Amino acid sequence: MLKFVVRRVLWTIPIILLVIFMTFLMMRAIKGSPFRKSERAVPPAVLENLNRKFGLDKPWYRQYFQYVENVATLDLGPSLVLRNQDVNSIVKEHFPISAELGGLAMLLAIVVGVPLGILAALRANKVTDYLLMLFANLGFAVPSFLVATLFIYFFAAKLGWFPTNGWGSASSKVLPVVALSLGPLTYFARIVRGQMLETLQQDYVRTAKAKGLRWRRIVTVHVLRNSLIPAVTAAGPLLGFLVTGSFIIENIFAIPGIGRYYVTSVSGRDYSTVMGITVLLAILIIVANLVVDILYGYLDPRTREQRT
Amino acid sequence: MAILEVDDLRTYFKTRRGDVRAVDGVSFSLERGRTLGIVGESGCGKSVTALSMMGLLASTARIVTGSIRFDGRELTTLSEHELEDVRGRQIAMIFQDPMTSLNPTLTIGTQITETMRRHLDLSGDAARKRAIELLEEVHITNARQRLDDYPHRYSGGMRQRVMIAIALSCNPKLLIADEPTTALDVTVQAGILDLLEELREEHEMSMIIITHDMGVVAEAADDIAVMYAGQIVEQASAEELFDHPEHPYTEALLGALPQLEGEGVRASRLTAIPGRPPDLVDLPDACRFAPRCPYANPNDECAKHVPELREIRQGHLVRSAHPTSERAGALAGAKP
Amino acid sequence: MVLNPQEESLRETVVSRESEELRFEAGAALRQSSLWRDALRRFTHNRGALIAMVAFLIMLLYVVVTPWIVPYDPNNVDFSASYLTPTWSHPFGTDQFGRDLFLRTALGGRISIGIGFAATVAIMVIGILYGAISGFVGGWLDNGMMRILDALYGLPYLPFAIITLAIFGTVNFWTMVVALTVASWFTTARVMRGQIITLKENDYVRSARAIGARWNRILFRHLLPNTLGLVIVFVFLELPGVVLGEAFLSFLGLGINPPNASWGSLAQDGYTQYLSHPHIIVIPSVAIAWLILSAFFIADGLRDALDPRTEGAA
Repeated sequence: MLKFVVRRVLWTIPIILLVIFMTFLMMRAIKGSPFRKSERAVPPAVLENLNRKFGLDKPWYRQYFQYVENVATLDLGPSLVLRNQDVNSIVKEHFPISAELGGLAMLLAIVVGVPLGILAALRANKVTDYLLMLFANLGFAVPSFLVATLFIYFFAAKLGWFPTNGWGSASSKVLPVVALSLGPLTYFARIVRGQMLETLQQDYVRTAKAKGLRWRRIVTVHVLRNSLIPAVTAAGPLLGFLVTGSFIIENIFAIPGIGRYYVTSVSGRDYSTVMGITVLLAILIIVANLVVDILYGYLDPRTREQRT
Repeated sequence: MAILEVDDLRTYFKTRRGDVRAVDGVSFSLERGRTLGIVGESGCGKSVTALSMMGLLASTARIVTGSIRFDGRELTTLSEHELEDVRGRQIAMIFQDPMTSLNPTLTIGTQITETMRRHLDLSGDAARKRAIELLEEVHITNARQRLDDYPHRYSGGMRQRVMIAIALSCNPKLLIADEPTTALDVTVQAGILDLLEELREEHEMSMIIITHDMGVVAEAADDIAVMYAGQIVEQASAEELFDHPEHPYTEALLGALPQLEGEGVRASRLTAIPGRPPDLVDLPDACRFAPRCPYANPNDECAKHVPELREIRQGHLVRSAHPTSERAGALAGAKP
Repeated sequence: MVLNPQEESLRETVVSRESEELRFEAGAALRQSSLWRDALRRFTHNRGALIAMVAFLIMLLYVVVTPWIVPYDPNNVDFSASYLTPTWSHPFGTDQFGRDLFLRTALGGRISIGIGFAATVAIMVIGILYGAISGFVGGWLDNGMMRILDALYGLPYLPFAIITLAIFGTVNFWTMVVALTVASWFTTARVMRGQIITLKENDYVRSARAIGARWNRILFRHLLPNTLGLVIVFVFLELPGVVLGEAFLSFLGLGINPPNASWGSLAQDGYTQYLSHPHIIVIPSVAIAWLILSAFFIADGLRDALDPRTEGAA
């Protein structure tokens, strides 16, 4: 098991380096694009800062290493637009908000989505299942901007239960968290249901029945464990969902998180911020996938016991 | 008294095209302490018969009619709750594929002890002790250490032994073995069959062995029922069946066995039975083996009605219009 | 057992029967049919999939035909007719400029679905190529290609697309297609690789090798055709993703610019007045949901149709 963990962690390092490299290339592509030339000039103080931080007057590979070094020391460089701020402080200010939004949404998605999936699987092909799956499919097909808008329209504007935007009080968090959680929730529900249905077909469930075990025990001990463990790996791509979703939700609810900030940075051509946030998100996603992989490896006894 | 009496069991599966008549009028009885072998090709209904007895049918299947009396008790009318009490405790079943029949994420020990704790109300320690004894009974060495291993550390033969240990753990009166050796190497097969026989005697159980392999029933069964297309077509004691097969299908099955000795063996070919089993949805009112039977004619009785299962000799039943002993008389005297 | 004359004659009789036809009609065994015909039969019997297919075709019909038959000019500003709710002459109502939404949604659909199809095709081509090469060649090339893929997975979807668009500088139909393709091809590549690897181990590939078939024959004649089913399923899975991605980008203001509207930009238009006139944002959103749901259920149906294992008895 230990070897497994070490191998996975070691592999992550070149992957992160590769991601930074790709982001770096892409940003250079923008910097070099003709469009850039028509912008307003960058103030000299910032320019000098940029040159120092990014080594812009040095050859490109040097720049890359410089940037990696920066990242490793958690220095994401200065903002191109806001004169007094650098990306680090921007991140520090806005990221916790997004993290809280995302975290709560994920929590809600698991707490509601998983039991829904289990219920649907146990009542497969009956009315409960169809209704639950209908809900799940709608939740995933209807674009989140509509859902969010409708939430605000009904619950905030018409009913007045919640504020229409902002982030601060507990009640202001309800609508955005719920809206953001819908995508992952329906995803979980479907994955869990699928896994459970597959497990229920397995031979060892038939054996358990033949042993005369009570159905409740069969479900909790034999079926649930073996279904939920693979569902854990589904959590990996979810971080990507959350990032994408948060861009929209933060935009609609006017929440000052980095999703919203990212969009305004792009429109404002603040490319170093864009790059900084992208790298940050990328590293987060890769690390999250790593954690999920290791978790799964731990839960599956076959991997746990491997000597190699 | 017979421990098991099955009477006119019919189990149908619901499909878009109609009802698949997987088991269509099966009746037999099993005396205490005896082993019944149910033999037939894939799809003949032998497994479904066993699953019907245990109440383990898929949701698309149902027992349409018939009775299954176990130890004097009618099983078909029991609730799921009551059946759960019977399974594992009174009747135990082991299945074909030992590689997939055990839960890969639970230890062997858990999977053995959970049955005992459920039915016998044993404490954790008592159950573990008993589990070790059981593993030793099925000849697994180092039982105490191996109890906490996961299934992936066991070989196929060993897993089947574990399945047998689990099945025996609550001292059931009847053990049903569905193709117990099919997924195993030939060398391992003999060991499993011997083990089953040894344990059957020791625990005074009755046993039903389901298989498509004539060699297995020759070895293991006291009585044999041959099934074809959902019906029993011949039933007799093992010696009687092998020495004096009556039904053309049985003859063909025996004729299809590869042989090592006897005159003219080298030069002869393996005989196959031409054609395929009938579609179980669209069944004619005629003998189901007739399309493949070398003796059937369109004008015979068997082309117009399903032949009855009749007693052709004491203890020997056959469902055919052309049993061996009645055929043309000329060959009757030439049997060994 | 010793052969006796009776058994011998029986065997001859049985052997000679082999060439005869089955003797009785009723009870004859089922006819064989090909994989594709079976799949088609299963698909058409799947009510959910059929409904989805019909819904999908209706949508396609709507976006293609409507602009030909509706008499309005999509860009004609007529303030006297603004903000109308659905009526006979304007089945979807009008927006703040009095433009007919029935027509605009159809035109938007052309762009959104057009981008969707183009991107999906591109994703399939790139994904299959990458996955097939990686899976087929194996070894260190496969390892390397997969590591690169792992890294690409780390780049979050929207940011990746946004940056790609920024590289191009302008946002139009084709840059959007490229951006979305670039951000979405990874899953397809990985799945294709997995499929090729599984197929590679099949016995019929080994036998082809054993009789001396060369790699291109094996790849093109044996492996790729067998991935066809999976490809078709994936087309219907990727399409909704791309359409949604484009919608999100346009909604955020980073997408297609006016006057060419896509569903996403129509939604963005409607967003600014959702409190007073919700229908403007609801309609394109419903259109998106319609497309996503129908494509998804078609993919489900196709998956069930092509995988005999999941077929239950009714």
